[in-house]
Amino acid sequence: MRRRRKEEPGLYDQVRFWHPHVSPFDPCPPTRVKSYVVPPNLFICFQPAGLPQFSLPEALRAGTLWPALYSPYPASGKS
Amino acid sequence: MDQRAGKKDERFYQLLQQLQEADFALVELNLYLDTHPDDEAAIAQYNQLAQRRWMLAQEYESHYGPLMHFGHSYARRPWSWIDTPWPWQV
Repeated sequence: MRRRRKEEPGLYDQVRFWHPHVSPFDPCPPTRVKSYVVPPNLFICFQPAGLPQFSLPEALRAGTLWPALYSPYPASGKS
Repeated sequence: MDQRAGKKDERFYQLLQQLQEADFALVELNLYLDTHPDDEAAIAQYNQLAQRRWMLAQEYESHYGPLMHFGHSYARRPWSWIDTPWPWQV
């Protein structure tokens, strides 16, 4: 990740990178590093009861009631 | 555009916001309870929130008109379902 985004700390653990093959005949400038997001629900097999919760306004913004399941999922694939 | 439409007061937006927040949390708890049907604390929270949502809806409808139509909310005179702002205009 090139730019640090302080407001979304959970992002760093949730983005993974790989280096795609670059063809010597690629007519376009190659993208050397690509990224994808692994949201936390992938690693929670069965949600435990009694997880801490967001307040209602926070939950609406975060898109989940539980901080443990929050994934920022940035809109742009670049950062 | 209807004559009665226009700028709404602070409480209008507050109530809509709180309804949206409560509705979202209720969806989350509903989905959670689908897989955790025996979680007493979550059921209590769900019912508490449902009651809060009902009270918010009551206050909203008594001041600003129906939230739902086709008989799911009471109507006032004159008929106010068509009055703006509509949800996508708020």
